[in-house]
Amino acid sequence: MSYTTTRGIFIDNFSSDIPIMTIHDSGSVLSLVGPFLINLYVEVSQMKDLIKASWADEVEDHLEKTTLPQSKTEQIGNSRIITEYRWNKDDKKEKVVRTYKIEKRFVSKTIAERKTWPKFGDSRNDKPGPNIATTIPAEEIQMQFLSGKDGDKVEENPLDKLKNVNMNIKCRTCGGEHWSFSCHLKGTGLVVEDKKLVQEKVAEPEKNTSTNRPYIPPSAREGATNTAGKRDPYSRSYDEVPAIRIENLSESTSEADLSELVNKFGQIARIFLASNKVTGACKGYAFVNFKSKMDAERAIKALHGYGYDHLILNVGWSTNNYKYA
Amino acid sequence: MKPLMLQGHERAITQIKYNREGDLLFSSAKDVTPNVWYSLNGERLGTYNGHTGAVWCIDVDWKTTKFLSGAADNSLRLWDVSTGVEIGNISSNSAVRTCSFSYSADLASYSTDQAMKQDCEIFIVDARDNESFKNSEPILRMTVPESKVTSLIWGTLDHTIITGHEDGAITQWDLRTGKSIETVKDHQGSINDMQKNRQGTMFVTASKDKTAKLFDVDDLSVHKVYVTERPVNSASLSPIFDHVVLGGGQEAMDVTTTAAQAGKFDARFFHVIFEEEFARVKGHFGPINSLAFHPDGESFSTGGEDGFIRVQSFDPTYKEFRFDY
Repeated sequence: MSYTTTRGIFIDNFSSDIPIMTIHDSGSVLSLVGPFLINLYVEVSQMKDLIKASWADEVEDHLEKTTLPQSKTEQIGNSRIITEYRWNKDDKKEKVVRTYKIEKRFVSKTIAERKTWPKFGDSRNDKPGPNIATTIPAEEIQMQFLSGKDGDKVEENPLDKLKNVNMNIKCRTCGGEHWSFSCHLKGTGLVVEDKKLVQEKVAEPEKNTSTNRPYIPPSAREGATNTAGKRDPYSRSYDEVPAIRIENLSESTSEADLSELVNKFGQIARIFLASNKVTGACKGYAFVNFKSKMDAERAIKALHGYGYDHLILNVGWSTNNYKYA
Repeated sequence: MKPLMLQGHERAITQIKYNREGDLLFSSAKDVTPNVWYSLNGERLGTYNGHTGAVWCIDVDWKTTKFLSGAADNSLRLWDVSTGVEIGNISSNSAVRTCSFSYSADLASYSTDQAMKQDCEIFIVDARDNESFKNSEPILRMTVPESKVTSLIWGTLDHTIITGHEDGAITQWDLRTGKSIETVKDHQGSINDMQKNRQGTMFVTASKDKTAKLFDVDDLSVHKVYVTERPVNSASLSPIFDHVVLGGGQEAMDVTTTAAQAGKFDARFFHVIFEEEFARVKGHFGPINSLAFHPDGESFSTGGEDGFIRVQSFDPTYKEFRFDY
């Protein structure tokens, strides 16, 4: 039996003791996939501690306190809303509203069959659909694309930066402007005879700066641009290009209008249009994140003072973009 | 993207794996129960209850009928995927560190830890039916006296197996003779993970020496190197793009001794050919221990030391992204 392997193409005589498998195309069938949990809302009921006027009220109140309303399921088009009530740890009623999206997709027969398997093990008693105890829709996140060499910049050592900063370093051996351990006279036994002279020369201009200057942490010192400590830990977009703020938009502006307006200037990472939650009307301002700073600069230049709808736009860098992120 | 958080484990995730079609996601952790999930909506299908120690390794056969798990309770167990019933149990002399089905799933291989006077050993067993798995002596038993096996994959056409070792060596074993064919030592630290590409011609390693490397399956030559500044715990190749995703982070024991800086627990995307990082995805608040691309390349999952599994589906921006060169 020959044993040769050609890379990329599998050509071989298989030995009989390891049978080869053949893959059959199983075809596709329409199957229910999901449901997808798209929204979860938990409301804790407030207990009313009022003095009851009559015993009848108390009985009613007691009933209300000890029984849970029936759970109900509503089906509206492609979404299913399940409302359930439960007791939480503090013995307060909790209303749990779960919104599922139902979707049908063409999948292969094997996948469709597996979708019908009953749950087992610790999930034995779970209802169909994701259990909120084990499956949680996480917060929206952005994939961060690194443009050019941005990735390397982040990794620079903060100590390297400090080396370039004048920190009034003075060598104990010769009085020069370097650390004692890196003195060229170290270990030689040589001591500069006129050490005092050198020292005085160096010490003179330092006097007024070093004595009455308050302590400045290394991260805040001049030249230390890698401000790891100062960075807002909750900001999600620290290495994104800062947002630009567009003001004086008309009420009828929609997100689509806005993206049409700004996408001429370059690739956009995110658009946030402040709008009234009830009416959907624009509140008059928006934030746009471009992928590159150059594009953002061009957009500011071009759009500042530009007449849009019947208003003159006011465009600039967003000053505190962390808060709005 | 809006990830799904799967919270089925009480302790750090050790391994996650998709089945061949990618509709199911298997996970194991340092607790005792491996889990299986529908990857599309994060619904938990079930748990495999029976182990009494941390589960180190899992694998599923290509038909998604059999599921293998090895644990620190000195046992390798075979399960029925659909019901969670244990159908086979092999006890070993020390903890089972790695396990893997051959492509046809007629054979399975596993390796045990070096412990006390027990040498690290690699076993090949017949996994065709329950009886043969339960009763038979191993088909092949290879002792590894030097450095213990930390990851294991099957080579081309199931003729060889490839093992990654704690000292960074990678060895190819001939299953006909039971002897090693070739050993290369391109890594300086423990090989935490090895994953083949879709065609099975190359595999990517993840090593504690802060690099991931792309190897040829047949001659174990290094093609590409991906350098990071933290230990790499897992790496996976995209089935549709020339992308590789690396997961890792500083070890728990080092957290207090190094400067805290955001972005060390990210999943990092590198271009396979240019070896350059181009994107990151945040989410975990501990190192990523295991990650895997969905077989359709449209999403990927990560399992972290924090005990969560996150299923991330790519936004259109990822598919539109073109690497600048």
